[in-house]
Amino acid sequence: MAVEIPKEKWTSAVREVTLGATSDEGGTRSHTITVGGETALPFLHFEGETPNRPILALDVRSHKPEDWSPLLRQTWGKAMEDPATWAQAAEEAGADMIYLVLSLTTTDGEPNTPENARAVVRKVLEATGLPLAVVGPGQAEVDNELIVAVAEEAVGERLLLGLCEEKNYRTIVAAALAHNHLVQSKTPMDVNLSKQLVILINDMGMPLERIVMDPTTGALGYGIEYGFSVMERLRLAALQGDKMTQQPMIVNPGEEAWRVKEAKVGEGVPENWGEWERRALDWEALTATTLVHSGADILVLRHPETLRRVRAVIDDLIGPKSAA
Amino acid sequence: MTNHQVRLQPSNIIVEVPTGTLISEVIHLAGIDISQPCGGQGRCGRCAVILDDESGVRRRSTIRLSAEDLEDGYALACQTVIEGDVTISIPEQERIERRLVTDKSARKVELPFAYDPVTMQSVQAFQIHLSPPTMQDNIDDLSRLQKALADRGYSPIDIPLNVLRRLGTVFRDAKWSPWIVIETPTPPPGPARLIDISVEPIRPIGLALDIGTTTVTAYMVDLTTGQVLNSAAEYNDQINRGEDVISRIIYAEKKDLNELGVLVRQTIDTLLERLKLRTGIPPQGIHKVTVSGNTTMIHLFLGLPPASIRLTPYIPAANDPQSYLAAELALGVNPHASVYCLPGVASYVGADISAGVLACGLADSEVLTLFIDVGTNGETVLGTREWMVTCACSAGPAFEGAGVVDGMRATEGAIEEVWIHSETYEPTIRVIGGAKPRGICGSGLISLLSELFVTGVVDRAGNVKLDLDTPRVRQGEHGPEYIVAWSDETETERDIVLTKVDVNNLMRAKAAIYAGFTVLAESVGVELNDAKQVLVGGAFGQYINVENAIKIGLLPDLPWDRFHFLGNTSVLGSYMALLSHDAFEHTREIAQRMTYIELSADNTFYDAFTAALFLPHTEISRFPSVADIWDQEKRD
Amino acid sequence: MALSGLEIYKLLPQTNCKDCDYPTCLAFAMKLAAKQASLSDCPHVSEEAKAKLEAASAPPITLVEIKAEGGEVKVGNETVVFRHEKTFYHKPGLFWRLRDTEDLEELKRKVADADAYHVDYVGIDLYLDGFAIEAVSGDPETFKNAISAILSISKKPLILIASTSDIAKAGLEGSDGSRPLLYAADGENWETMVEVAKQGDVPLAVRADTLDELADLTQKIKAAGVEEMVLDPGVHHYLDSLQQLTTLRRLALKKTFRPLGYPIITFPGANEEVDETLLAAEHITKYGGLIVLEEFNPASLYALLVLRQNIYTDPQKPIQVQPGVYEINSPDENSPLMVTTNFSITYFSIANEVDGSGWPGWLLVTDAEGMSVLTAWAAGKFDAERIAKDAKTFNVEEKVSHRKLIIPGHVAVLSGELEEEMPGWEIMVGPREAVDINSYLKAMWTK
Ligand code: SF4
Ligand code: FES
Repeated sequence: MAVEIPKEKWTSAVREVTLGATSDEGGTRSHTITVGGETALPFLHFEGETPNRPILALDVRSHKPEDWSPLLRQTWGKAMEDPATWAQAAEEAGADMIYLVLSLTTTDGEPNTPENARAVVRKVLEATGLPLAVVGPGQAEVDNELIVAVAEEAVGERLLLGLCEEKNYRTIVAAALAHNHLVQSKTPMDVNLSKQLVILINDMGMPLERIVMDPTTGALGYGIEYGFSVMERLRLAALQGDKMTQQPMIVNPGEEAWRVKEAKVGEGVPENWGEWERRALDWEALTATTLVHSGADILVLRHPETLRRVRAVIDDLIGPKSAA
Repeated sequence: MTNHQVRLQPSNIIVEVPTGTLISEVIHLAGIDISQPCGGQGRCGRCAVILDDESGVRRRSTIRLSAEDLEDGYALACQTVIEGDVTISIPEQERIERRLVTDKSARKVELPFAYDPVTMQSVQAFQIHLSPPTMQDNIDDLSRLQKALADRGYSPIDIPLNVLRRLGTVFRDAKWSPWIVIETPTPPPGPARLIDISVEPIRPIGLALDIGTTTVTAYMVDLTTGQVLNSAAEYNDQINRGEDVISRIIYAEKKDLNELGVLVRQTIDTLLERLKLRTGIPPQGIHKVTVSGNTTMIHLFLGLPPASIRLTPYIPAANDPQSYLAAELALGVNPHASVYCLPGVASYVGADISAGVLACGLADSEVLTLFIDVGTNGETVLGTREWMVTCACSAGPAFEGAGVVDGMRATEGAIEEVWIHSETYEPTIRVIGGAKPRGICGSGLISLLSELFVTGVVDRAGNVKLDLDTPRVRQGEHGPEYIVAWSDETETERDIVLTKVDVNNLMRAKAAIYAGFTVLAESVGVELNDAKQVLVGGAFGQYINVENAIKIGLLPDLPWDRFHFLGNTSVLGSYMALLSHDAFEHTREIAQRMTYIELSADNTFYDAFTAALFLPHTEISRFPSVADIWDQEKRD
Repeated sequence: MALSGLEIYKLLPQTNCKDCDYPTCLAFAMKLAAKQASLSDCPHVSEEAKAKLEAASAPPITLVEIKAEGGEVKVGNETVVFRHEKTFYHKPGLFWRLRDTEDLEELKRKVADADAYHVDYVGIDLYLDGFAIEAVSGDPETFKNAISAILSISKKPLILIASTSDIAKAGLEGSDGSRPLLYAADGENWETMVEVAKQGDVPLAVRADTLDELADLTQKIKAAGVEEMVLDPGVHHYLDSLQQLTTLRRLALKKTFRPLGYPIITFPGANEEVDETLLAAEHITKYGGLIVLEEFNPASLYALLVLRQNIYTDPQKPIQVQPGVYEINSPDENSPLMVTTNFSITYFSIANEVDGSGWPGWLLVTDAEGMSVLTAWAAGKFDAERIAKDAKTFNVEEKVSHRKLIIPGHVAVLSGELEEEMPGWEIMVGPREAVDINSYLKAMWTK
């Protein structure tokens, strides 16, 4: 008996967004990366296109993060001392993009400054040809101060700048607009809030082709299901033609997963949690691949081994057609 | 525990209290009444007092006070405890100010339907002609009356003792042709009841009440003609024990259930006094009462413990209480008058909504009708004569001017309309009474928010854009704010502002109401656009501006001619039930037929609420008329 | 196709007689539409209406039950493609694959280890659901002995992997008293397998390489009298799994295609080229019913069990965070302590605000059943008693040396009662809006 494969008819597509600019385009990147453009639910190639594969970024800090898990610190070793070296190491580990987070304080505990932020970004841009995201430490005033400087310093590079949040988006958006960058709009796991912030940013005159949305997710065991469903809903809405949900999605499973006890802690945990390193890596990888299935276009990771494992999954999912 | 001496000014009363006593309790102990609109939650700031010395007290909260206020020694009576000897002044302007809310005596309320007292009215008054007793015809007075009434079909009949006591005198004074007032059983069978007898002709009089959370309204009705003789409205005296139903339920639970009953009767007495002044009819001359109100108000009126209303699974003591004698309820009308409470549907959809549905005609409507009660409890009913669904959502009192820094009721001095210049951001205002402004009322708030949105002073999430080039926006005490009037232009000599927090409160109120009716429509699978009529009720509905209300996303974007404003539909329904027992039965039937949708049952409401927490809505396609203006503004 | 509440209502008597225990016919109709009530609860429906309504309500994916003395696994009966549409009901069963060629003592040791595996996740006990035992030996006796060995240690449900009916029969004899899944019928052996399954009244797995063949087989097997089946579409990679399993789910739900309306069994470890844990994770999120693992590794199993728990929570419940004391910006014993409810949006807005303000702080999150501060207060889920109780449960006294608790401004009214409930504590009324936290702390918090 011939079974007919049911196919959904989608009327719209995810918007394509291009990160980075080569020298021809006014930047210094060795190549650009385009994300988005899907016309079907993730990897259902029989009903639509997935022209661009989900990309994997590695989390690099402007200053060595002392609170990171020892497992990560062992892996990156000395590279963590210097953002440029670290970015290079990340590129060697196979990252598609560098996700540079400006720290709140410098290594000697002094508050980070716009001058310092400029210098770090300059260094990293020189060290790698990959497209770059640069986000602040997550405190509105400091973020604004640092990111405005970075936007100016790297004019034309089409960096992904963040984080734009509902309470604090205007300054960063204005800076990105003025210096030809993109922005990351981040909202707490909620379909409406995601959409609202995209509208607000777009209302300031930022073209939708320069907005990547971060719907936020929890780690495995810590709310991943909310992030997962919010992303599925956003993607469904996008394919059904809801314009303000059609931005490619970025999520940060690395940060989320390495924050939780299961990944962070090696001792004093129940025996049945099993071996620490394997558990930690599974935690990050499962968080990431689950989000790949819910439609993530950019995933920020922390461990090179996770990057390798997740890439293998994506290679298979994307199919022979685009594996090249 | 140590006691401290607290001296209260200006009355100069000294009270001794132990450590930890709240100033509001001290004031209460001294027998002074101060206003506590938020029920002592430290939210309204209206209970502010002045301290002569900080050392004798500890402030738990200062939310409502500015740095300046603190310097001047202001403290919230409900949030400050005594820890030593202290002198406290109660500022004059903070005394409870009783104001008449609406006084419609001038306005005539139309008869809601053709009224035939003989077939519709349970209370009748008529003169009866008894044959005087003789030596042959020597039955007693009572039997004589019973016989005569039996001949007219009133048998059996209840005659209350204190009517019986007056029987002999009245009969003789009236030369055996007394006037009597009788209530026939509804529904029969059951004995008819003699309510009153009199030598003089009696007009049967009824009272239709609506006990609102904020306002109590009364219509005095001539039951022969059905006409409203006069009406009156007054703030519910319970307000001082909390401004919303939840605060009152908690007050009843934790403090004093009985007191709340006393307070509402006190309000009703005030109304009865006022009606007596205007009509000459004393409270004793009222023979029948109907009462409408939300479930909590009815509970408190009847003295039923309301605690279970607010707790899952939200079950009230009674949705459809019986009728009771006025004497049992200690209501100041004729003690033999029956008091009928209209039936409600559920804990959060009460008799006020059954009454509203009766009054607005939804229950008999051929076309899909949406009825919205724009009030603190945001009740909505959707349906036709075939089916009805209803829900309630806590919208909060923002549109009534409460919970907003410079909010006020729609009285003298309230800004009721605002226009903002789209380049200079300078406002033009209209003030009720034309004097200097004191605050902003509900319609003013809607108008202001709509203007702030359209001119881009706030973004669509309601954030005030501090980067605009105008002195009208600034970082204030409570976050970013817009200045509607400078201090030298106002009655209070303080700036009148709308803060980010105020905008949030307004947005939440409008989002809750909008989400309520959209979820209701979704739950039964009908399109909101198919609603052929939108009936808006509530005290607020008397001065709502549809255009602005649509712009901010409070009302659905439908053609204006589909909207009808009905004012206080609860008292109207109560009035109809007073006139006609069929109408009363109809509310009972309406209440039975309404299907209550519990919004908190799943995430749908929350989703709809967040979607609506945007100007006008996250999906602007739901507001095509607003989308047009918005696009234009953006292009300009 | 599913009918809406209003459509069902039109088929009901519309008398509001309440015999169904719902206040109105419409209320009942809406519950029916939501599949939360059963039509038989209304004694007054007409035969005609009954026929219409029943056709619309038969489960599109058959429920399959595997049982043993120590537990049961139920899979199937799913009603949605995306969990947010309603919920995913029956968690996929996780099984560990063992072989009968193994030394019996070694087998027992493995089973004992896996059987004893329990982890606690937010108070929920997570464990392996059962064992799949494969007759690699090809010998009925060996198979039977291996099964007995397993059953001597564990009471968990079993999957019997046998390629011929003789072996299958021996397997069933060995597992007498339980209800294992028989794996698998295929194009060759289905007739005899059906007999064994019928005799033992056990569910039967069906294996084929294409969906067409699979549908043919299930129809024949159903005609032969077996109702409970499990499908093995033979997937081995991430992509074919995703596409096949999605197609199966859609066929069952959107097309009500009965021949493929059964739960699915997968073997994510069967292909050595893939990462078993990651493929198993995909099967958990995307429509697997029974998942048979090659490797038993506590660390990976823990991650998979947690994922399963997460994906199968009811998304209609308000989004909650776990009650407890949360640390923000590495607080110490002098840092401010604030309290709020466990509604996730409330929690996040406060946590973000504190985080962003740079203040180190402790956030006590109480169990308010996922309601926001005001709603919870109104519903009696955020009152002095509960706050005091949670403060105790989560040992706030040990975290801070001061005795000051900041409560949300919206519930200032609780301050008095809380001071009574928490003797020795000073209750401070915080701001009403999260945005004001920074300025509040600046003004009110003295270290
Ligand atoms: S039992 Fe049937 S007729 Fe009666 S209310 Fe329920 S659904 Fe309606
Ligand atoms: S602030 Fe004290 S009563 Fe409202």
